[in-house]
Amino acid sequence: MNPTETPRRPGCPELRRPDLDSLFTVNPDGSRNAIHPADVHGRFQRRKHLLWLVLVVVYLAMPWVTLGGKPAILIDIASRHFHLFGRTFNAQDFWLAFFYLSGLGFALFVVAALFGRLWCGYACPQTVFLEGVFRRIERLIEGPPAARRKLDASGPTPQKVLRRGAKLLVFLAIAFVVAHSFLGYFMPVREILQAVTSPPTQHMTAFLFVSAFTLILFVNFTWFREQTCVVVCPYGRLQGVLYDPDTIVVGYDNKRGEPRGHDGNEVGGDCVDCFRCVAVCPTGIDIRNGTQMECVGCANCIDACDDVMTKLGRPTGLVRYDSGNGFLGNARRFFRPRVALYSVLLVMGISAFALAASSRQAFESNLLRAAGAPARFADGMVHNMFVLHLVNKLPYKARFTVAGRGPEGAVYEIAQPEVELDSLADWRIVVQVKVPEAALHKGEQAQLAITARADGIEPIEQLATATILGPTQAR
Amino acid sequence: MTANLREHTFDGIAEMDNKLPNWWLWSLYLSCIFSAIYWILFHTLGTEDLPYAVYIAEEKAAAEKLEAEMAKNPVTEQSLLALAANPAALAKGQQIFLANCASCHLPTGAGSIGPNLTDAYWLHGDKPMDVYNTILKGYPEKGMQSWANFGPAFVQHSAAYVLTLRNTNVQGKEPQGQKVE
Repeated sequence: MNPTETPRRPGCPELRRPDLDSLFTVNPDGSRNAIHPADVHGRFQRRKHLLWLVLVVVYLAMPWVTLGGKPAILIDIASRHFHLFGRTFNAQDFWLAFFYLSGLGFALFVVAALFGRLWCGYACPQTVFLEGVFRRIERLIEGPPAARRKLDASGPTPQKVLRRGAKLLVFLAIAFVVAHSFLGYFMPVREILQAVTSPPTQHMTAFLFVSAFTLILFVNFTWFREQTCVVVCPYGRLQGVLYDPDTIVVGYDNKRGEPRGHDGNEVGGDCVDCFRCVAVCPTGIDIRNGTQMECVGCANCIDACDDVMTKLGRPTGLVRYDSGNGFLGNARRFFRPRVALYSVLLVMGISAFALAASSRQAFESNLLRAAGAPARFADGMVHNMFVLHLVNKLPYKARFTVAGRGPEGAVYEIAQPEVELDSLADWRIVVQVKVPEAALHKGEQAQLAITARADGIEPIEQLATATILGPTQAR
Repeated sequence: MTANLREHTFDGIAEMDNKLPNWWLWSLYLSCIFSAIYWILFHTLGTEDLPYAVYIAEEKAAAEKLEAEMAKNPVTEQSLLALAANPAALAKGQQIFLANCASCHLPTGAGSIGPNLTDAYWLHGDKPMDVYNTILKGYPEKGMQSWANFGPAFVQHSAAYVLTLRNTNVQGKEPQGQKVE
């Protein structure tokens, strides 16, 4: 499908060029073809590096941020406590995660349908750390792409041992830091700090996990790199069904560029076939072959081509952000049924989550019949035994008072009328209800008023009810 | 580069026959080798224990350890009375009693479904070891379950608390069992 085959110059070894029929990062014999993207400068590079500076800090510092004394984000799997921006959830609230995650998923759908893989090229932690941290350090230690390729091919010279060794050491150190920061989303940072400063035998599971994760990150950012995006990540694979001809993607203006390789004469296109766009690509594709699954939308080729066009005195934008229809010269459409559908699904997910999270009660109170305890009769009263189960879902300590309400004539014996509970702690209180036999009607409810009090909030009251069993009187 | 196109097509979609990445193939080969070794060791030769057997062995080791611990500090009349005289142990015992025992014996111990623990009449004896064994083993045919699964501390602390309820004579359920002097 290559529009033109670049003819091989006589005397040169055959040079493999990216095509649509194979992965450029895999050689025909199955071995890895390491990509060393050429240096590139331009407006999108400036924007990306500025954004990555912020994102590196955000991704690393997030586990340290606290809101009202609680971590801003902490998915504490071991104790099944989840903190999300000042709210506290327990395992019973896990169903909310469906709406939260599907909302996030549809947000990515909307972005992909409108602007392609903006997430991949600009904000994904894989990209942010690979391009914003690891690749820059590699450039610093091993030099420009040509020097890196030479180093790859050379034997174990002192030069190589020194540079490679230094790079691998620095990479391992960064992988160690990133792995611990990542662990901070799942384990309180204070515990991590304590674990790091004490012998590993005291916390073997966390130690093994963080060692394995450090190793995975190290291998990923040192060798595996773009293979994660090309072979492992499912989001990129979805682009085929999320894109349409109106999706804005990084693309090549075929109409303007072809036929390529002509030096500005009147019959030729604007593409001078300099292969700069290929040289700067981190996944090893030729953007002139059209939208491909490997493309993470990093816009390196846009900056590279703009640079060349400027030097040639031709208008920039031969490679640019545009839609399929835009490149063909057709009318561009921004809002399409697809965008509306994804947006509606996004809004549905978000509002379901917001609604569910806000209607969530400050505490749980369930009045349960005590196990194996039917009604008893004494002194003309029907006795029923219940257990009140309380769960404090407030993000702080609260005092709970329990008081009996109706029906008329009912006497309550509450084992502990007052109890103080930590956040997400639970407690059981035995409650006996006595009702005069003559006053018990069908469906009569035992009612307990539970009031939660904490500093700085209005008292919150809930009613817990359960049916009183016993021989009932006709009304 | 259409040389390595497979012959078959589906709805006009043809398939390339490129070589898979070597790292990917090696992860497959190593998985196959691992599974073969695992199968032979765990399922054919049985030289290694399967997860369930490991779990049983761990459970047994834990039970033995607990038994050894208990043998070091045997529960006796003296140890229970010592607990009953220890305010911290009693506070724990009260918590356990209120949360678990009170549904049948009432928070005061005056009895409801279960017998009155505050009077002088006892079905299964009022001696410290009697109370301890009643809680530990239970009398399931009479509705009193065994609480052994809740751990030795649970049983000993609740027993100590019940000992302090004796002869507090709270007005409640009618006397059951033998009068104890």
